[in-house]
Amino acid sequence: MWGAPAEPADSYYEVRPECTDVPKTRFKIKPGKTLSARKWQAAFTPEGQLDIGKTLSRIHRGGIHPSIRGEVWEFLLGCYEPKSTFDEREEIRQRRRLQYSAWKEECHQIFPVVGSGKFITAPVVTEDGQPIQDPLVLQETNSGISASSSKMVKELLSHGPLDKKVIQWMLTLHQIGLDVIRTDRTLVFYEKQENLSKLWDILAVYAWVDRDVGYCQGMSDLCSPMIILLENEADAFWCFERLMRRLRGNFRCTESSVGVETQLSNLASITQVIDPKLHQHLERNKKLCFIVHRDTGRR
Amino acid sequence: MPSRRRTLLKVIILGDSGVGKTSLMNQYVNKKFSNQYKATIGADFLTKEVQFEDRLFTLQIWDTAGQERFQSLGVAFYRGADCCVLVYDVNSMKSFDNLNNWREEFLIQASPSDPDNFPFVVLGNKIDVDGGNSRVVSEKKARAWCASKGNIPYFETSAKEGINVEEAFQCIAKNALKSGEEEEIYLPDTIDVGNSSQPRSSGCEC
Repeated sequence: MWGAPAEPADSYYEVRPECTDVPKTRFKIKPGKTLSARKWQAAFTPEGQLDIGKTLSRIHRGGIHPSIRGEVWEFLLGCYEPKSTFDEREEIRQRRRLQYSAWKEECHQIFPVVGSGKFITAPVVTEDGQPIQDPLVLQETNSGISASSSKMVKELLSHGPLDKKVIQWMLTLHQIGLDVIRTDRTLVFYEKQENLSKLWDILAVYAWVDRDVGYCQGMSDLCSPMIILLENEADAFWCFERLMRRLRGNFRCTESSVGVETQLSNLASITQVIDPKLHQHLERNKKLCFIVHRDTGRR
Repeated sequence: MPSRRRTLLKVIILGDSGVGKTSLMNQYVNKKFSNQYKATIGADFLTKEVQFEDRLFTLQIWDTAGQERFQSLGVAFYRGADCCVLVYDVNSMKSFDNLNNWREEFLIQASPSDPDNFPFVVLGNKIDVDGGNSRVVSEKKARAWCASKGNIPYFETSAKEGINVEEAFQCIAKNALKSGEEEEIYLPDTIDVGNSSQPRSSGCEC
């Protein structure tokens, strides 16, 4: 093993053959440096307590082997305490899975497309909660599902006018669909319809639970890796939920601003001190800041 | 007195999420279409050199996010625009109905000096989809709306097939050039942030 050449990790996230201009990852699996499955397992006590310090420094030096990335991320994102035991974690995991399926069921009751393996890309309600019968809805959604989606809304309306929070949520569903079909589409992973609808379901449930944020463009990009790394949908949801605890402020909106603007102004203050020339340039082109934000986020 | 030299023309593309704003911009600037564009967050821009009557101009095309919640950022993006392109999807009635909102929002936020004569161009995109069978907004209806808003030039496009994109942007550039907006536009010098002398961190390996 020692001295073996570093192996690129691209084969773990297979790219569709027709996508030729996808940049190669710079990450390489380095034997002896990268956190391997063996080293990872050895970092736990017999009860399951994790030596997080040693693990973190290895991750810092060589990254995580793709085969264990999902379970490691659960710790990195804070889903589980390193000092917890196997049994404690198992209990939490089961409890969270139940919670997720309860929420998903709530959503399914309101709008049965959630959890059906399908999703929508065209609006189904108007801002005042009336069903939309645009013929487009029939055309654009997957496998004729919305033929019944306006029926679903009518069915829902038969119990009385829609609650404001229900309308608010339903207005985001097609936006989630529009973004799901263009999230990481270079990956073979998303050739499967079930993975697309998994992404849609998780984002729809999240929007239902976190009403202040709902859904905002950009969230699908953050959720996608969780689905790729964690096979269980509920586990992926909870990783995403943990990530959002740190990031949801960026997506919250008031009448006059998007949350991320606060961060941008902090960034501007820092830049003013460490690179006045760049700061002056950005101030004269205020709008450029947004681009800078996304690009630095990608690296 | 020599005529005022304008070298930068700023164009803003607005419209609902998923109508093809990013694809239109890339088809025009890079002559290619991709199924793999991500949703636009905030805004993005591309530039292209265009020639008119022996003079070179830089067309700076601003692509914006379609989701309503990014509209609060509009002021920063819209200001100083020379032309505004409104895009809808001919297969989506909602995206057509919303053109009015996009136009009004733009006029409020950009507050051009002569709103009645500010140049707009409307593009009805995705005419290629399903051989036109899924189309719900007729050309007649679209043209009628454009006529009612002071004869806005109208084009039916397909960013995917490259239909009418070049023609539409030539019209856009021409109208931007004619635009009476005299606001001083600062053409930024390029700052190369990628090539600093400081050693680059190898980045996080997680």
